[in-house]
Amino acid sequence: MRPSRLRACLLASCAAACAALTAAAPVLQREGARPAAQPPLVTPPAAPPAATLPAPGPGETDDSAALPTPSGAAQQLYAAARGDLLQIRMLLRNGRSQSTVGSGFLIGTGNLVLTNYHVVSQMALDPAVYIGEYVDTDGKGGPVELMAVDVLHDLAVLRVDRTGTGFFRMPDHPVRLTQGQYLYALGNPLDLGFAISEGAYNGVITRSFYEQLMFTGPINSGMSGGPSVTAAGMVAGINVSKRRDGESVSFLVPVHYAQDLLARVAQQAHPPKNFNPLIAQQLLAHQRAMIDRLLAEPLTIKSMGPYRVPVRESQQLRCWGRSNFRAEAEYTVDAVSCAMEAAIYVSDTQQTGHVSMTHQYLRSASLHPLQFAALASSRFRVDRTGRIDTARDTRLTRPACSEQFVHTATLPLRAVTCVRAYRKFAGLYNFTLLTASTDDARASLQSRLDLAGVSYDNGTRATRAFLSALGRSAPP
Amino acid sequence: MNGPWFVEILARSGEVLQRLRVEALPIRIGRGYGNDVILDDDYAAAAHAVAELDADGRLVLRDLGSRNGISYRGRRHAVLALSGDTVARIGHSALRIRPADYPVAPELRDRTLHRWEGTLPGAAGVLLVGAASLFARWLSDIQAMELVRYVEALAWGVGAALLWSGAWAFANRLFGRHARLGRHLFVVGCGLLALSLTALLASVLAYAFSREAFTHYASHAATLLLAGVIYFHLCTIRPPHRIRYRWICAAMALLGSGLILVGNVQRSGRFSDELYMWVLLPPALRVSPDQGIDQFMREVDGMQAGLDRGRGRRPGDDEIED
Repeated sequence: MRPSRLRACLLASCAAACAALTAAAPVLQREGARPAAQPPLVTPPAAPPAATLPAPGPGETDDSAALPTPSGAAQQLYAAARGDLLQIRMLLRNGRSQSTVGSGFLIGTGNLVLTNYHVVSQMALDPAVYIGEYVDTDGKGGPVELMAVDVLHDLAVLRVDRTGTGFFRMPDHPVRLTQGQYLYALGNPLDLGFAISEGAYNGVITRSFYEQLMFTGPINSGMSGGPSVTAAGMVAGINVSKRRDGESVSFLVPVHYAQDLLARVAQQAHPPKNFNPLIAQQLLAHQRAMIDRLLAEPLTIKSMGPYRVPVRESQQLRCWGRSNFRAEAEYTVDAVSCAMEAAIYVSDTQQTGHVSMTHQYLRSASLHPLQFAALASSRFRVDRTGRIDTARDTRLTRPACSEQFVHTATLPLRAVTCVRAYRKFAGLYNFTLLTASTDDARASLQSRLDLAGVSYDNGTRATRAFLSALGRSAPP
Repeated sequence: MNGPWFVEILARSGEVLQRLRVEALPIRIGRGYGNDVILDDDYAAAAHAVAELDADGRLVLRDLGSRNGISYRGRRHAVLALSGDTVARIGHSALRIRPADYPVAPELRDRTLHRWEGTLPGAAGVLLVGAASLFARWLSDIQAMELVRYVEALAWGVGAALLWSGAWAFANRLFGRHARLGRHLFVVGCGLLALSLTALLASVLAYAFSREAFTHYASHAATLLLAGVIYFHLCTIRPPHRIRYRWICAAMALLGSGLILVGNVQRSGRFSDELYMWVLLPPALRVSPDQGIDQFMREVDGMQAGLDRGRGRRPGDDEIED
């Protein structure tokens, strides 16, 4: 059995950007699996209002301003929902010891269960090693069969050997939610037992590449894949992640993505045998959208001293600046890092579909050119920070690198591109471009572009666009 | 063959431990005090052997009925004919007997610079080491000037050089006659200078002419230089064995380079020391022309086929790149 571990920071794949921005970068945690290890959140649910108001009748929408007593509603909800709530476990085929645990729920009166992809990722990627099983609130269990996965929105559909009571209904058209409305998240936090937690809906998040709902309530490890419902029992979203640096800031997958996936399951005759090509297809579709959006318009050009550097600042790609200002140092370095705040979770140790770019403007008036060259060289050697050649990462091939002295329209520079291919997903690669300007003996612009999980064409397209956009305003 | 005779007791290496002059034959050898040559050897009999002329006038060593006898080339002899080069073993002692008219080899040509010994080369070596450590410190100094950091660098550099050459001087005293610390210090100084200059030169050549191989395989030049330093240390200890040491050091360099290559392949799947050349130098040193972006991207496109081949292989079975 693998040791307990926290779900990784969603930005773990952008080591350089993370390293550069440790203070500023947000930390997202997937709410899957792993009980334990993590200090439980202690934030209690919001204090219930005093007045008792009638619960709204069952309906398509739940936008009435009058709210019921939350605790009472929670009690009723849990009592009604418990029959359809499941814990989903991943087990090692050998020894049947559990590897990860999450939650899921039965849809309507059928035998289909909705959960997160990251709860069942081991089963999808390595069916020879892992199998899944469910346990219901009465402690009864049974096998699960993986029907479909949606890696991009982090959803999966399972089939089980029992049927639902019909409590969790998927709305036919999107649920209209109002900000501040109570939602109830259900699941099995930290493998301690089934639980319900109360929180407020706080709008649609556009920071992540695919929209997510912000839920201001406690969601813990093990609750992912569980439903978040309105007081009327309408499913609003599926618990997926939380911010580790925040207080009760959690995220839900909007229910309409789940509806799309269920529609796909309804059409397929039998479940796919091998999910790896399907996951590869989904990742390819993601990178197509991601790079198209990145390059839809020319990259924004920012000035760093005399240099012109390309960045892209958008809802998904956030930029942060940093400087080394210290009195005793003989040089100055200003850095700008832009990175996507979300990545696609593929497995415990692999996240992809991510873009980050970093620029460092290094200069010194007092260092001798040779001393400055030594400093610039040590910075250009990325072994210590963002290793390209990550020690024995067997999911990727060894890097192949091209290195040349290149002249863009206005700037001579040293360019290095290293590419690694994904072993399991044909057509996907990680690209890293490193450049260092070679025009000034006392200043150096060092840039880095990381593209995780892109096709070769898109990788070279984005690399070329980034490289061509590097320049300087006027000769020294 | 006439007297006087010289009985030489030898170490295993052939070195003479003890040389005794005996005026006339026969020479009695054994542990007892009545012998001409007294062996302090528990395995030798009190009266072990006697060296005398036989009927044909040849010098022979005759066993006097000892328990362990006389051995020569692994076999026991009751009577052993001795030439000047026959090394007989009595108990645990090896000895040979030479007459006074034994012909010796001509003297070696003295190539040693006897004035370049002691303080002078020692000071030069320390100076070189000190200069190299100060230069290295200066090159990587990115903070405001503080003398203490330079003093520390000097102390570490010279200290390490003294330790290294001290060990060689110790070996020199053990196997040669003199310590020759000055000479060893000089060898270290020159070696360090050569290592620094080679590294610098490799960087400059690689950067100026876009010849990345110079830095990709820089460790092999360093290995060769290190073997060279060891060669000069060894020659200082035993100058006559120059040729032998040359071969030993060449073999060591080859072994070192081989180990580096194997290690690189094991660690990263490449023969080169680094994934890419990370040396950046002042722009004034660039000589060869820069490439266009199209050319660079063509090279990037060319890598796809190899990567796709690698995808199908098991981890660790990737193609080895150079």
